[in-house]
Parts: sequence; structure tokens; C-alpha cells
Amino acid sequence: MTTQALDRPAPRKPIDWWRWAGRVFLTFLLIFTVLPMVWMVLTSIKSQFAALQYPPQWWPAEPTLQNYWRLLDPSNSVGQEFLRYFWNSFYVSLLTTVIGVVVAVPAAYAFSRFRFPGRTFLFFTVLLRNMFPAVVFLMPLFLLMRWLGLVNTHGSLILTYLTFGLPLSIWLLKGFYDNIPIQLEQAARIDGATRFQAFLYIVMPLSTPGIIATSIFSFIGAWNEYVYAYTFLSKQDSMTLPVGIQRFFTEFATDWPGLMAATFMMSVPVVVLFLVLQKYFVRALTEGAVKS
Amino acid sequence: MSIATGQGTAVLAPTLKSKRVGPLQRIYNHRADYLYVLPALLVMLIVIAYPVYYTIELSFFKTPPNLQMKDKVFVGLDNYATILSSSSFREVTMNTLIWTVFSTLFAFLIGLAAALALHREFIGRGVLRALLLIPYVVSAVAASYVWKWLYHSDFGVIGALAVQFGLTDKPINFLDNLHTVLPSLIVVNVWKEFSFAMIMLMAGLQTVPEQLLRAAQVDGANAWQRFWHVTFPHLKSVSMVTVLLLMVSNFNSFIIPWVMTGGGPAGASDIWITQIYNIAFGRQRYGVAAAYSVILFIVMMTLGYFYVKALTRGDESRAG
Repeated sequence: MTTQALDRPAPRKPIDWWRWAGRVFLTFLLIFTVLPMVWMVLTSIKSQFAALQYPPQWWPAEPTLQNYWRLLDPSNSVGQEFLRYFWNSFYVSLLTTVIGVVVAVPAAYAFSRFRFPGRTFLFFTVLLRNMFPAVVFLMPLFLLMRWLGLVNTHGSLILTYLTFGLPLSIWLLKGFYDNIPIQLEQAARIDGATRFQAFLYIVMPLSTPGIIATSIFSFIGAWNEYVYAYTFLSKQDSMTLPVGIQRFFTEFATDWPGLMAATFMMSVPVVVLFLVLQKYFVRALTEGAVKS
Repeated sequence: MSIATGQGTAVLAPTLKSKRVGPLQRIYNHRADYLYVLPALLVMLIVIAYPVYYTIELSFFKTPPNLQMKDKVFVGLDNYATILSSSSFREVTMNTLIWTVFSTLFAFLIGLAAALALHREFIGRGVLRALLLIPYVVSAVAASYVWKWLYHSDFGVIGALAVQFGLTDKPINFLDNLHTVLPSLIVVNVWKEFSFAMIMLMAGLQTVPEQLLRAAQVDGANAWQRFWHVTFPHLKSVSMVTVLLLMVSNFNSFIIPWVMTGGGPAGASDIWITQIYNIAFGRQRYGVAAAYSVILFIVMMTLGYFYVKALTRGDESRAG
């Protein structure tokens, strides 16, 4: 809208070269972004024989959905395993998200509202967790999980995913709480609400977008996680998708169409979640880094 | 660094502008506040403070390969010496730097150009933005497999396209060539994360005051001058944060090199993280891996310092 206002006072310019450069650039960028995904889908509807041809079939001569049926059919072993991985991923991601949000909400609220001694210091340590590579935590956590008897359980993953989910959640939610005027709570307090009531009935409903955004983030993070799942889980039936599909397709010769179908299926939930809740996702991504 | 103890808070408290009230008194006055933070702190203490402490401790010990940590032997700084004097350290560090710097640079520049091009309203802008963001959302494992297939030495579509357009006469073996492997992986990484920079910078562009741009235009500034003298200064802090976050995530990236090449061929795409993983879980030399992690830690802490500084500017002045 504002750009229209910007354009109007300028009289007819010959050609806006920058605008054309932008369009050309965006076209190339779109091709770069989308082509790998298109090729993934095209490969996934080919047979193994059709996929391994040179020069490649640019368009599948005999498109088939057999790779997908095989993955989704619980009566054969491939489908059975795939559906189990899928369920494991879903269940671990969901639990991580729920626990993470329950723990992060009060903490983020406290960091946003209260000025207790050590607040800044604690908040920095929370933030700095984002700086640590997962691999650094791998070994000690592996030993810790063994000591707790959690190796090869989903508990080990959920507990670990909290390490990277929690700081991020706290950070995101704090940004949302910072934007809720404190006067609203003060008004409630004057009307006789306790601090906790003010938090529960005034702040919580207002921060729903923040909670949604945070949940998407931690769900996607957990769904896509690979390193810990790869190290902690060695039993076939406890594996999550990113680790599972790897075991699956490299044991014999690689079945590329099947692998592409599996990666497609694996991407569907997060992409759908992202597309539906895009607004929140973008807000979560940029929250805090951009100050108006 | 993550160990947040009572003493730590007491030491820091006086810096928080306490007026006439002693630090302990202040902590006591705020005791209810800590209840909100406690669950989070407990989780963090178990899964963060303990591992950090343990990694540092382990870095001074020679460890048995069977994970029986009772039998570890104190060796002082031997592990560090082993790493720094090893023949591969130089090459791996070089790879890590190339990987991090070029991934960050290209992701940032492409993201910036995309953000500028998308800033203007046009039909299909929302759809385009969503499409460009998909690589950032999908799992790195999925991305790695897809690109591995695109790069396939015999049936890869990139090689086939190159032949089709007459760039080469036979398909290129991208991932098995010492010289092409790292750039090929960087392309995948940039594909995956440029839209992160794009989104951050698009949000940053919203903060550029429209009046200033118009004023500059009235004064006869051309597009480039408007960008350089008006837009870019306003993007400085968000660019800082974006570049730092990209650098951190690139330093820490494991999945793309691990899944696509496993560090090969002949270590040509080995970076610190994959090297650490190999030392720990491949060669079972946990002490050395821990020392390696500590080195990485120090680099991360330095970056982290700047990150926190860039982020929290003006945070304390906010009413609370």
C-alpha cells in the first residue's frame, strides 16, 4: 500500500531496471528452490527401472503410485516399518511440544515481567544454549540416559529435545509477552485478581498466537531432529522417521523412488503445518530480532 | 557457563541498579518470581549444565572405549595436544571455515536480494514467499537425500542437465570429487537456509521509514543510493543477528555433510562437527572428542557473546 503512494508522485519513468532485475532474480531463485522438490516428486512416481535410466525420463513415462502404496500398506514389512517410524516421530514431537510449552510459559512470563536479581544472567544462559552444537551434548547425554535407563526409549529423546526446544521457546514467548501491555494486568490486579489469576485469565488468552507459534517451532524442530535419535536409538521399532528411512533404504541397493516417496511423506506434515500457520511461523522466526 | 547457582545471582545482583536494598534482601523479596523459572531451570540444569560440565571434565581424561567411565585416566592437556598436532586438524579447520563463511555469505546475500525484491507488493507475493520458505522447513535429512539423488553420479538430474545443455560431455561426479564435494554441499546448505535470512530481512525492511525513502527520492537519490544510505543502515542490527545465527547454525551443522558424504571422500568434506562425531562414536575416543568439543565451545561462546549483545540492545530499558 505504501509503495503505491511512493510510486504515484514519480512521473512515468522509462524502465525501472531494478524492478526487472528483481523479477529475473526471483524467477531464478524460484527455479533453484522448487526444482529439487519437483524432481523428488517426479522420481517418487517412477518405478525403480524408470528412475535408473540415462538420460533420465524428464517426465515419467508410466507414472505409478506404487511406492506410496507400499509405504502406507501395513500388511507388508516396508509399510509396517514406515508407519511405525511415522507414529514414533509424531508421538515424540507432540509430547516434546506439549511439555516444552508448559514449562516455557511461566519462565518466559517471568523473564518478561519480573525484575528479580540474576534475571539478565539467567536469561543469557538460556539464550546461549542455542549456541551449543548438539554433538557437544551427545556424549554426556548418552551416558546420562544410560544411567537413567532411558537408552532406546522415547523418553530419552523427549528429554533431550527439551534442551534445544526450551531456550528457543522461552525466547520466543518472552517476545510475545513483552508486547502485551502491562496495564492490562495492572487493571486486573486493581479489580482484585491475584498475580496468578491475572496471568491465567488476562495474559494467557492474549498470548495464544505466541503459544501457537512456539508450538509449531518446537514440533517442527522435534520432527526433523536427527543427531540424537541417530545415536540414542538402535532398536528398529523405536526409531523416528529421519533415522528410520536411512536404515530402510541403504541395507540393500538404494531404492531411489522409494526413498523419494518416503522423504516426500516425511515432509508433508511439517510443510502442511507451516503453510496453514505460516503467519505465526514467520512471526516466531523474526520475533525479537527486529525491533520496531 | 550455564551453571546458574545462587552465588552467581548474588554476585550479579548489585549491577542491576538495586537501591539501598542488599542483594540477599532483593532475592528474598523476589522469591515468588523464581517459582516461574524453576521448572525451566531444572530441565536446563539436568540436560545442559551437567553435560557442559561433563564434557569439560572428560576433555582432561583418557577414556576406555567401552564407556566404562570409572576407568578413565587423567592426562592433563594431552587430548588438546593430540588434536592440535594431528595432521587432519588443519584441513578440517579449513573445511569448517570455508563451509561456514561461504554458506553464511551466500545465504545472506541471496536472502537480502530476495527480501528487497519481495518488499514491493505484487500478485502472488505471499505464495512466492511461502514456496521459498519450504526448504527451510523440511528436514535436513530429507533435503540431503533429495540432493544426493540430484547429484547422483550416473542418474543425477544435475549431471544430465549439464550434458543436455552441452556444459560437459559426461555426467559430473559431484560428491566423489575432492574439489567439487565441499562447494556442492554448500549449495545444498544455502538452498536450505537462504530463506531464513530472507524472512529476517523482510521483517527488518518493514522498519525502514517510508518517508525517508521518499525524501531521498525527491532529493534525487537513485535506487542504489537509497538502498545504501537509507535502507541498509536501518537493516544493520537485524543483519548482525541474522549473520550470527547463520554462522552458529553452519558451524554446528552436521546432517548435510554426514548424510550426504559422511565427511568423504578422503576427508574433503569433513568439518569439525562430523570429525567430533567420528572420533567419539566411530573411534570411541571420548576424551579427545570432548576436548575437540571444548575448542568448538570457545568459538561458539565468542559468537554467542556478540549474539547476545546484538539481541538485547535496549532490552533493559523496556518498561517492566
